[in-house]
Amino acid sequence: MQGASWLIALIKEPQLAATVPKQDWVLIIRLLRKQQLLARYSHLFRQAAVFDALPAYARHHLQNAEILARKQCNQVAFEASELVTLLAPLKVTPLFLKGAAYSLALGASIGQGRTYSDIDILVPKEAITSVEQRLALHGYFGEPMTPYDQHYYRQWTHEIPPVRHHSRGTIIDIHHNLVPPVSGRAPDISHFLTHLVTTEQGYQVLTLPAMTLHSIIHLLFNEEFKNGFRDLTDLHLLFLQFKQPAQWDALFELATATGFCTELFLACRYCRSILATAFPDDFYQRLERQHGVTKNQAILDFAFKRVLAPRHPVTDNWQDKLADTLCWLRGHWLKMPVSILLWHLIVKSSRGAMVAVLGKSYFEPERR
Amino acid sequence: MPSHQSLLLPPFTFEVRTDIPLVVDNLKRLYGSRLVDMASYPDYFVSVQKAEGIRRFYRPQARFFADQQEPFQPLQQQQAYAMLEWGMNWCVATHEMQYVIIHAAVLAKDNKAILFPAPPGSGKSTLTTWLAFHGWRLLSDEMALIQPHSRTVIPFVRPICLKNNSITLAKQWFPDAIYSTVASDTHKGDVIHLSPPESSWQQNKEPAEIVGVVFPNYRSDTELDIYKLDKTQSFMQLAQNAFNYGVIGNDGFVTLCQLIDRVAGFEIFYNDLALVAEFLQQELIDAGR
Repeated sequence: MQGASWLIALIKEPQLAATVPKQDWVLIIRLLRKQQLLARYSHLFRQAAVFDALPAYARHHLQNAEILARKQCNQVAFEASELVTLLAPLKVTPLFLKGAAYSLALGASIGQGRTYSDIDILVPKEAITSVEQRLALHGYFGEPMTPYDQHYYRQWTHEIPPVRHHSRGTIIDIHHNLVPPVSGRAPDISHFLTHLVTTEQGYQVLTLPAMTLHSIIHLLFNEEFKNGFRDLTDLHLLFLQFKQPAQWDALFELATATGFCTELFLACRYCRSILATAFPDDFYQRLERQHGVTKNQAILDFAFKRVLAPRHPVTDNWQDKLADTLCWLRGHWLKMPVSILLWHLIVKSSRGAMVAVLGKSYFEPERR
Repeated sequence: MPSHQSLLLPPFTFEVRTDIPLVVDNLKRLYGSRLVDMASYPDYFVSVQKAEGIRRFYRPQARFFADQQEPFQPLQQQQAYAMLEWGMNWCVATHEMQYVIIHAAVLAKDNKAILFPAPPGSGKSTLTTWLAFHGWRLLSDEMALIQPHSRTVIPFVRPICLKNNSITLAKQWFPDAIYSTVASDTHKGDVIHLSPPESSWQQNKEPAEIVGVVFPNYRSDTELDIYKLDKTQSFMQLAQNAFNYGVIGNDGFVTLCQLIDRVAGFEIFYNDLALVAEFLQQELIDAGR
């Protein structure tokens, strides 16, 4: 088995780790680090009680990542309570999304060992300016960015440019929707806001089905798949948390109401084919009936099975790269009307062309 | 000609790729037999590459990668070797969490080690060089790897990084030692790397027990002033120089507390290195006999 196949096999059956040939761990650790999955796998190996049986080389790197992830988890709890306190006078309760929500709400399962670089929150659109101002008063400032990017964020996307705490370096992404309005696919956010729960510590997050749908949209209604496999494992672990038929119904109904049935179908399809995720028969059949296999399915399968695999440049072939390009095009196509897309691509590719001719570092000032 | 080799630098192994001849030459010169064709269990995959595009020809630049990550801005290509050294330090400082890592030089006699934690500019590397070539064993010039809940420090032997005026001094004192080419005009000024004596390389797997912590401050107008630090002062200075103290949490705190409890801490102001060596020998090495 190659490194990438091991990653897939090990998330399905972590106890297989004890049978991995010692030499294979070098590539496995390298792929896991690239996908930011070291700490998650470490946790899975401990759950399956095989961690101690692993070679010292593997344990060493897994444990380093565990320690970093534990620190991040503590940090997130601290940052979240800061945010709640800061926004309380505005009568705004932040809704925590993605990585931070996994840590705060599902710390025992998907949150374990999940690492991320920023904290995502959602606040009402009309409160965005006051939230931004209040955070700035307390030391969270925007990073320098080109006027085009600044304009693009505010005009067309579902969030404002990220802000960063001046001393702790924490980055907060402030959203008012889950999908960029420019795509024409941004759902009426109130559909999601009927699926809220409060964690034991008092943090507001989405319910499991809504959180799962957001994770699906984030992965599949997108053009970049740098952490494609990591995100697919998020979904796999989220689906494992579904215990009642009502949760599957809620997921299906929310996807229908918000217009993301295609994404739900694709997510389930690839979780099933890549990670052998189990779905209730009636749920999956209903989804297939509703959505059905489209005539482009073969192309989609070709592309998604590659961008969602555990990838690394040392193992990539031309088909992988073609798949990246297809998904990049598809993502942009989905997200922007043609007129805006063209302008966006002209701006971005004129820069891209300069980079191609002059070199990436032409734009990067030399450090002195 | 792209080069692809491994560096055996216990406790870690680096796989190094580069297409810059300057880097290949310096690696061969400074690391000697530690540079091998291919090791079986590399911990980190690092590379220094020529920047592409026009930067290949016009004011050429180099880029450092830790596998797919690029933690630094590109540098001038003549600084590529120094960049690789700093990049390897970066790998250890950001990933290794099972040691308490202090930004400090570590030198030992009879396996009794002294930590010299210090911010840049304090003369730490000059002192390190002098001691390493006067019968002390170098464990590290940059990073003390301390086993949690112990006084044991693990060697991580690497070239010593000398800056500006100390380059001239070192070359005067030890003209036969092995130096890298100069990386001029870096953010630290002119920088050179110096390979420690062979004896330090050969004992690069032998831990030592910390017997003292000394905070060095070079002062051109002072021969040697010694101040004994109380525990709070020593602790705060150590914590300020710790790389991963904030991440590893309680283990780091307890380890530093226990260390400060058991060993003496001094702050010294000096310009006479022989006097410093004498003081260290009498006060910290011989004292335990």
